[in-house]
Amino acid sequence: MALTKEADLIMAPTGCDVAIIGAGASGLAAAWLLASRGLSVVVLEQGQRVDQRAASSLTPQWERDLQTRFNADPNVRRLPSDYPVTVENTPIRPATYSGVGGATLRWGAHFPRLRPADFRVRSLDGVAEDWPIGYRDLEPWFDLNDAMMGVSGMAGDPANPPRPARAMPPLPLGVGPGRLAAAFDRLGWHWWPSDSAVCSTEYRGRGACNLCGPCSVGCVRHARASADIAYAGPAEAAGARILTGARALRITAGAKGVDYSRGGARHHLAAGTVIVAANGMGSARLLLISGLANNSGLVGRHLMHHPTALVTGQFAERMDGHKGPFACALYCQEFIETDPARGFLRGYQMQIARGGGPVQTALGGYMARIPWGKSHHAELVRQFLHVTSLTVTSEDLPNPDNRVTLDPSRTDSDGLPAAALTYRVGDNTRRMLDHGIARASEALREAGAESLSVNPLAAAAGFHFLGTTRMGTNPATSVVDADCRSHDLPDLMVIDGGVFVTAGGVNPTSTIQAIALRAADALATRLGASA
Amino acid sequence: MIFLETLLATLLPGDENWPSGALVAADVAADAPDAVVTLAAALPSFTVGNEAALRAAEAAHPAAFERLVSAAYLAYYNAPPVRQVLARLTGYEDRPPQPLGYALPPFDPSLLDRQRARAPFWRDPDKDTP
Repeated sequence: MALTKEADLIMAPTGCDVAIIGAGASGLAAAWLLASRGLSVVVLEQGQRVDQRAASSLTPQWERDLQTRFNADPNVRRLPSDYPVTVENTPIRPATYSGVGGATLRWGAHFPRLRPADFRVRSLDGVAEDWPIGYRDLEPWFDLNDAMMGVSGMAGDPANPPRPARAMPPLPLGVGPGRLAAAFDRLGWHWWPSDSAVCSTEYRGRGACNLCGPCSVGCVRHARASADIAYAGPAEAAGARILTGARALRITAGAKGVDYSRGGARHHLAAGTVIVAANGMGSARLLLISGLANNSGLVGRHLMHHPTALVTGQFAERMDGHKGPFACALYCQEFIETDPARGFLRGYQMQIARGGGPVQTALGGYMARIPWGKSHHAELVRQFLHVTSLTVTSEDLPNPDNRVTLDPSRTDSDGLPAAALTYRVGDNTRRMLDHGIARASEALREAGAESLSVNPLAAAAGFHFLGTTRMGTNPATSVVDADCRSHDLPDLMVIDGGVFVTAGGVNPTSTIQAIALRAADALATRLGASA
Repeated sequence: MIFLETLLATLLPGDENWPSGALVAADVAADAPDAVVTLAAALPSFTVGNEAALRAAEAAHPAAFERLVSAAYLAYYNAPPVRQVLARLTGYEDRPPQPLGYALPPFDPSLLDRQRARAPFWRDPDKDTP
């Protein structure tokens, strides 16, 4: 992805109806809806715009970019827009990105929805808490968001509630996923082609995916949706302003505005409502820095990831896993609903991960790297183009001791404290992952894998930061209400994954965006904005 | 540089097919200079092929060693001579993924016949809540 030169260093706005901090999946969705309702909206984004039309997948440098300036880990990437994250007390490293589009600039675009039972965990399974909203509250917003993002897939999945026909047919499976689909059938297990935020045909001026593989360096055809492609243009067309290189320093007292830095200067933006949409790590960090919305003491607590295990099968024949979006093919939700006989509560999804290029194969991706030494080249040739993986995406349970705090000594380039993560994988989750590893191994063997390798916990899979500003009806046990408004400061909202009460066992972005749209709609209605 | 070339030739030995890892010494020196310094100090008289000494250094300096191996793999598998070998041995197309992309057969909906025959099994809390 090429970084576009910032062209809008023009007079900074001094006031607006709504200030949104973060131009990622949730922030841009909300910006579009609010601006469409006639509200003045300013989005502050610490990163830059990215010209995906010039992505490095067009060049021989694409694998170098994946490992360096588009590395998922901000501690490796170290761009000026990144803030450091202290990870000494967590086995899971952050996978984020700052820019217009946020982490969706380098995501896999696997696009399932949380499921109805995910919102009633306490009632159904006696653990964690119920959400104050349910699947049906979000259903119209899921559908609207699907239309904006552009979803390929197929309705009719028996593991999920009915949903409208997908706008585009499923993406091709390819060899490895096809083998696994047949294996799941023989085992009598569920599988279904993924809902993918990737165009399988032309859609609203975006090209069809040509199966190039490395979605994480950006999509030259704009086939893979990211929040910038799906929402930034419509939001700006409706009047929203997106200020890049604008780092929120603090939300001011009473949430009446935001102090931010841009171009070496400090500014203040007055706002009727401040919306924080900087992901469950960044938003908690900013609220802690600002000393706001934390009468409950819960800001930053109950951090949930989707702890992920991987099983990779090595096959005698070519799998050609470099062809096709790396994260989008099919999933298995056979084990996603609670069955106490399995020894754990809640469940997990298995998802295909296709292969990668030569560098990723050598470095191992989410697996161990190929050993160096005399056997190195033989092992690389054995694996390269010959592997298919299954991820086990487990549902984490909330634990108040898993949390985001402020590092007392490290700072970012503006002198703000680094985020510090404290996290351990819970016993229930560990049992779930082990069960998933056994089932994934069974499926890959059934598919014909000659050998398997297992990563019991992918350290680099800290994609999702959930629960750190959770929603609820009780101000003593939650940070925001069902409409994502702070219990303490009603003009302060949080709309990212931090509001999740429980994590579900699937990728969360579709649900994050549906929540953001619903919350933005409620705000617009409160402010009397036209529908 | 001689030390680094020796080390890289041990990490990624050359043979009749593959270039030696020494090919990318300059890239690794630029990408992981601190790791090179650490390992040079740990291996003062290292000779090519001495995997035992290298494994001892890996155990003693895991972080530096990991940085160096990562830099070596990244540079080596981006090097055109290595990509050409890989293409010859595996059939991998030695070109950027775009603009050509790749082709795969379209999804065949009949693959779902068995799954479609299954009754819905998601829990509806409006019906299932105790």
